[in-house]
Amino acid sequence: MNEITIFGLTKNFGELVAVDHMDLNIPGGTIFGLLGPNGAGKSTTTRLLSTLLQPTDGTARVSEFDIIQEPVRVREITGVLPEESNRTVYPGMTAYENLEYFARLYDVPEEEIPARIEELLTFMDLWDRKDDKAGELSTGNRQRVALCRAILHRPTVLLLDEPTSSLDPLAAKRVRELILELSKKYKQTFLINSHNLPEVQRVCNRIAIIDEGKVLLQGKTQELRSQLLSKQKFRIRIVGDIEKASSIAKSMNFVEAVKEEVDSILVTIEDPTENNSSLMQNMLSQGIKIVEFAEEEATLEDLYLEVVKGGIQK
Amino acid sequence: MMRKSLIVAKTDFKNALDLRFVKMGLIMSVAFGPVMVILMFVSLTALIPPSEMAFAMLFLRPMVPSIIGIFAIIPTTMISANALVGEREQNTLEPLLCTPLTDRELLLGKTLAGAIPSLIILVASTIISVVGVAVLTVVMGFPMVIALDLPGVFLLATSVPLMIFAVVAVMIIISGRVTRVYEAYQMTSIIILIFIIPMIMPLLGIETGVPNEAVWFSNITTLIIVAMVFVIGWALALKLFNRDKLVSMV
Ligand SMILES: Nc1ncnc2c1ncn2[C@@H]1O[C@H](COP(=O)(O)OP(=O)(O)O)[C@@H](O)[C@H]1O
Ligand SMILES: [Mg+2]
Repeated sequence: MNEITIFGLTKNFGELVAVDHMDLNIPGGTIFGLLGPNGAGKSTTTRLLSTLLQPTDGTARVSEFDIIQEPVRVREITGVLPEESNRTVYPGMTAYENLEYFARLYDVPEEEIPARIEELLTFMDLWDRKDDKAGELSTGNRQRVALCRAILHRPTVLLLDEPTSSLDPLAAKRVRELILELSKKYKQTFLINSHNLPEVQRVCNRIAIIDEGKVLLQGKTQELRSQLLSKQKFRIRIVGDIEKASSIAKSMNFVEAVKEEVDSILVTIEDPTENNSSLMQNMLSQGIKIVEFAEEEATLEDLYLEVVKGGIQK
Repeated sequence: MMRKSLIVAKTDFKNALDLRFVKMGLIMSVAFGPVMVILMFVSLTALIPPSEMAFAMLFLRPMVPSIIGIFAIIPTTMISANALVGEREQNTLEPLLCTPLTDRELLLGKTLAGAIPSLIILVASTIISVVGVAVLTVVMGFPMVIALDLPGVFLLATSVPLMIFAVVAVMIIISGRVTRVYEAYQMTSIIILIFIIPMIMPLLGIETGVPNEAVWFSNITTLIIVAMVFVIGWALALKLFNRDKLVSMV
């Protein structure tokens, strides 16, 4: 069952087409990553799904509710973390008051509100800051308050727009853990906008890469990684002259690309089963000491660069 | 519907009070109306010979409801500017619009945030002004002066409350067009000037002694104008209010 279904969704801002006849299905319970460069239309998609913006054309369903026909129902079951969410909390209200206000607006039963807020703030390591004015909290802590606000009413669909953008690595890790934990416990559907690829790779089980409001590619993260990258990449770690090693690799006609790093070179090799040994022999014969010769796991970044730059159309 | 609107109203009111200029504005509105009225009456009573007091009253009394009214409306202007335009300027509007609040609940909340304090100030400053003038004139050894007459009460009971709500409608219309709180505040402040009419118009007939009919005429004219602003304002506000526009304005 698809929890979010997007049909021909389009949003124009004057002449500019921010979302362009987008079709996308997001199965229930998935953590779906929406990837794309700045201005690709990720935030606009989120705002359309959270019924803040009216589509110019097309529509979408969140659970069984149409975003145009039943916006209030959609908002009831959806939790939203807006872009730059650290700026969206009321600075003059305490962390606790911010959450209490939204708990009431989302119809959380009055008697459950204190316990829920305590649970969430404790999880986010913010319970001892509950009476601090949100305006006096750090950027990261404000963002965490915003994240608590998004999940307070136990939504079945969560739209998170760059959830870790302003967090330090530790706080970002905590948020990733939270997403995975929530997903395990409550099986919500997540739509996460991001351009942090390693993060998406770690958290999302499905992704779509979009640019100029169009879906370029979508599928299960694992499959996309293994299937779409036809050429294999190897890391050759050496002791000695990196540049020499690099020029040897470049001179071989089956080597497609070479990238130099501090202690190793990364080579993309055509038909590695045939060719790896001759590259290795060649290097050894010229006095390069090879410490390691290993397959480099394809990352989402490779895929992303290939799709967004190379412009593979779906 | 009402419950959630009241939650919004309460929060908006508290957040507005956090801003120094709103807090000062509110204190000044509460104080200025009664202080101006009381000073006017008490000083005139002290300065003018008792024989001319009845004549002075003729043009003094029509000013009272306008002064009290203008100062009672100012808080609505400030609070609703902050609750509508200010929230967007501050980036807190987006999460609010993501909640299941309906447009009506949201607008009612934003309306009550300013209207309730304004109505309370209206009643309070009317009572303080009338009682203050009455007590002080007696204490000073003059015959008791009642600062309000029937046309004044009429204006305070009809035009002023209507105007308090009309201001919010104008603010809603403006909120889809301006990006800064002070712009919204200035634009709506201008319409408060309608209350110059009942203050000035009766004075045009000053040499004939300001007949009571002139006062009634100007107060009813004011009410008609305010009612038109109210009806047209709310019709437009409800028609033009649009989440998309509020969100997509940069
Ligand atoms: N309110 C708006 N008015 C005009 N253009 C907008 C507005 N919001 C977004 N855009 C434009 O739409 C495009 C997509 O923006 P956005 O959805 O924010 O991209 P992303 O989140 O992927 O970076 C961009 O070119 C952006 O400038
Ligand atoms: Mg964005």
